[in-house]
Amino acid sequence: MESIKNRYAIVGVGESERSKNSGTTPLHLALDAARAALNDAGLKAKDIDGFMSYSENDSCTSHQLATYLGVRPKYVKDILGGGSSTEMLIADAVGLIESGQLNTVLIYRSMNGRSGVRMGGGGWNVNMLQTAIEGGSFIIPYGAGSPAQWFGLFATRHMHETGLTQEHLGHVCLAFYEHAQRNPKAYFHGKPLTMDEYLKTPYLSYPFKKHDFCLESDEANAIIVTSAERAEGCKSRPVYIMGLSARQCVSHAHYWNDLTEVAADYVAPEVYKMAGVKPEDIDVASIYDCYSWVVLRQLEAYGFAPRGEVGNFVAEGNLRIGGKLPSNTAGGMLSEGYTHGMNNVLEIVRQVRHEYKGTDRQVENCEIGICTGWAGPDMAGAMILRN
Amino acid sequence: MEYQKPIPLKTQDNSPYWDGADRHELILQKCNCCHQYSHPPGPSCAKCGSSELSWESQGSDINGKVYSYIVSYRPFLPGFQDDLPLVIAIVELDMLPQVKLIGNILHCSPEEIEMGMPVKMVWKDIMDDRSIPQWIQV
Ligand SMILES: [Zn+2]
Ligand SMILES: [Zn+2]
Repeated sequence: MESIKNRYAIVGVGESERSKNSGTTPLHLALDAARAALNDAGLKAKDIDGFMSYSENDSCTSHQLATYLGVRPKYVKDILGGGSSTEMLIADAVGLIESGQLNTVLIYRSMNGRSGVRMGGGGWNVNMLQTAIEGGSFIIPYGAGSPAQWFGLFATRHMHETGLTQEHLGHVCLAFYEHAQRNPKAYFHGKPLTMDEYLKTPYLSYPFKKHDFCLESDEANAIIVTSAERAEGCKSRPVYIMGLSARQCVSHAHYWNDLTEVAADYVAPEVYKMAGVKPEDIDVASIYDCYSWVVLRQLEAYGFAPRGEVGNFVAEGNLRIGGKLPSNTAGGMLSEGYTHGMNNVLEIVRQVRHEYKGTDRQVENCEIGICTGWAGPDMAGAMILRN
Repeated sequence: MEYQKPIPLKTQDNSPYWDGADRHELILQKCNCCHQYSHPPGPSCAKCGSSELSWESQGSDINGKVYSYIVSYRPFLPGFQDDLPLVIAIVELDMLPQVKLIGNILHCSPEEIEMGMPVKMVWKDIMDDRSIPQWIQV
């Protein structure tokens, strides 16, 4: 297979309403998001011959979504997954289009993430958790049942080794909350955050305070991927995929042995190589942000600042619009909404299209963007997009 | 009083570890092929894929150092509501630094805990026939 650089594009993005209590099903939300993405692309539902989604058993199926859009597609696929799944499914879509099996694929994530199944825990059966999580019986009996605690164990060690401080975590939150104030659809729109308030807020699970956690929301997002040729026929301005690297495991298979190594360290060189760009060529970013700290570790992995200097990089305001790497410019999962990373994909597409031109939300002269996924130390995905 | 926290589930792949814990003995899984320890244990070696595994007793007198930690101020699981703030740590074993175990540092305040802190394994009897390894400051 030849390089796929610039030969595939995202031609449509759309979302449902976002709330803490949708009062409806993931299928209704998915239909809303899919119709919005189709409308954005100027495509009809019947133009889609592949439907894909990821979930944690908290969604509708691709088959259902296609059915109620009135489509009988060639291909449906539903995977179990969270962070980095968007990038992985885009890679799958590209492969299926490249091999001539499909023309245009719609990928969605739909969830009642607040009113339905909550990732943040609560209501889980502890014995189910012990068996569902790899090595679960070695953590659950010790009270470690929340991703906040697992990521925290990585965070404190990384902070210890590299000199990252609580303020540095706070700078990530501040930047994203600031972006949310420009986004009327962000969940924390109207809720600005100061460093003083951040530092005074009590810990939920040290080193994380409530602002360091992603929020939980009810919403669906959808994106449409097709070939560059077909993209030319679409209504929207295509955003071309320059580089794409899907999941890759780290060299050790168990989480707790080596906290210095994360899958993003392996994905980064691949995605830059395929795209033929360097970190300094990136104008805008969406960095997976289930917790503030994972942003810092990914900035290190993707080469935006050397290990040990990531804290200064964020303290200088570089994640803000106007900084060196405006990131999560809609507020990210910390303050906009939470669909396991897909809302961040929508935002990077809109930035690279210059959809906010003329407003204070638009990153000036942004031609190249990066979007990173993170599902924990063991899985990562990333793509580089251009106008 | 009945133990309210989750009790380690013994499975096909981990029972020698937890059976050992019940006897106040640390039993680790080791790969006969690449000679690395596998913790947590699994159906085969996660480092090389070999299914040639054995179990090795490390005895009852186990010391280690805090490799990482967090402090929970909320009970994220049932049964921990009276233990807050709860220190959850990754402990690197002194004799086998490549092996790290997750546990609680008991009777340790958030002000006391720090990276590298020496700790000692203690065996907490949670039911008549069940015990789990925990840690205290040395
Ligand atoms: Zn009809
Ligand atoms: Zn082995």
